[in-house]
Amino acid sequence: MTVKITTMLLQINFKSGTPVYLQVVDQVKAAAAAGGLRAGEPLPSIRPLAEELRLNRNTVAKAYTELESQGVIETIPGKGCFLKPNQSPLRKEVRRKLLIEEIDQAVVKAHHLQVPAGEFLELVRERLEVMDEKRRASERGSGQAQA
Amino acid sequence: MNTDMNQTAAAIEINGLSYAYGRAEAVHDFNLTVPTGRCYGLFGRNGAGKTTAMKCLLNLLRPRGGTVRVLGLDPARQEVQVKRRLAYVPDAVAFYPWMTVRETLDYLASFRAHWNLEVERDLLGRFRLEARQTTGALSKGQRTQVALIAAICPEPELLLLDEPTSGLDPIVRREFIETVIGAYQEGDPGQRTILVSTHLIAEFEGLIDEFTLMDRGRNVLTLGADQARERYQKIRARFPQAAPAIQFKDALDIRRNGRELELIANGGGAAILEQLRRLGPESLTSEALTLEEVFVATLK
Repeated sequence: MTVKITTMLLQINFKSGTPVYLQVVDQVKAAAAAGGLRAGEPLPSIRPLAEELRLNRNTVAKAYTELESQGVIETIPGKGCFLKPNQSPLRKEVRRKLLIEEIDQAVVKAHHLQVPAGEFLELVRERLEVMDEKRRASERGSGQAQA
Repeated sequence: MNTDMNQTAAAIEINGLSYAYGRAEAVHDFNLTVPTGRCYGLFGRNGAGKTTAMKCLLNLLRPRGGTVRVLGLDPARQEVQVKRRLAYVPDAVAFYPWMTVRETLDYLASFRAHWNLEVERDLLGRFRLEARQTTGALSKGQRTQVALIAAICPEPELLLLDEPTSGLDPIVRREFIETVIGAYQEGDPGQRTILVSTHLIAEFEGLIDEFTLMDRGRNVLTLGADQARERYQKIRARFPQAAPAIQFKDALDIRRNGRELELIANGGGAAILEQLRRLGPESLTSEALTLEEVFVATLK
């Protein structure tokens, strides 16, 4: 069950235990971070996306509402949903606090998986590079497409 | 949970419903609440009482006990008002075989105050149904498609589907149910309610947002789909030595095979994982159960 949105791929995994609408939210955010979806680009409208992913409309609508409240996308009446420029409406402390919660979870997981601190930090650096590389690749890709 | 959805009135409210065919009790003290706007699954084996419960909603059967409310109305006393506002697709659809698809839809539309021709045209096209063909010449899957089109064109507030995909080949049935549900929900977002009974749960995995599991005429389990996948986890551990013979609270279906241990957590998955972790396993994994697996684990 894979759907291509512009250059972004959405895949729902019912065995992950993560609520389905949150999977959509996380993947749209990941695609935005990796440059697969850029500011001003449209997201598919709710009905075709729901049908493609074999989800009910409520789930996709809930994901879009969540993305909108997080300031990731905006709805332009009569036109659809678009990715917003990456400008979080939240203050810096709040943004840091939200990120810290996620980092703490990864730290706890690292402890239980017996990944020591040094290796953990190395992994973080590696993942940041992977994300950077993806973004560069998608920029190159679109440059060629325009040329 | 979406709070604004919870505050609206229920589309279906069944309390203490009982029904018997002669002495054979088919539905016993059954409760069901379907909130407005949901795509709600009624899951159960063949013979669990799903169809009987659904027929009580339509006044096709008169309950022996309990109360039934559909869109706030009593179907036994306000049958016409109820039927005007819903559409029902039975498990076996029958048309006049000599009528064409066009004539059949026109005939069915003649019973309705409203008929959305645009939806009809869109779905006929998408299913590649030939309007001039007689319904007798259609495959079972195509007849079901015609029945589903006829059910949603009046744009009812409530759609009752009884085993809509059973008896169809897997390729055909995978392709159209989400199209019908998508077209139906599009009209009045968040307000149209679907109750679908089925034993083919895997096909409805992502379409259902809440479900009731029915067995031997009773409500065995009611949960949100996401909640169910969060609550039921399959946990596997492999140990360097024989798997320990310990007990787990909230665990279903514990299996040991040499160094391996597999169990299904019914809530409390995190605590069980922690308990296992302390025993020093070589590997430890967990994954959510699909709705079908929840169904199997619960009825075992």
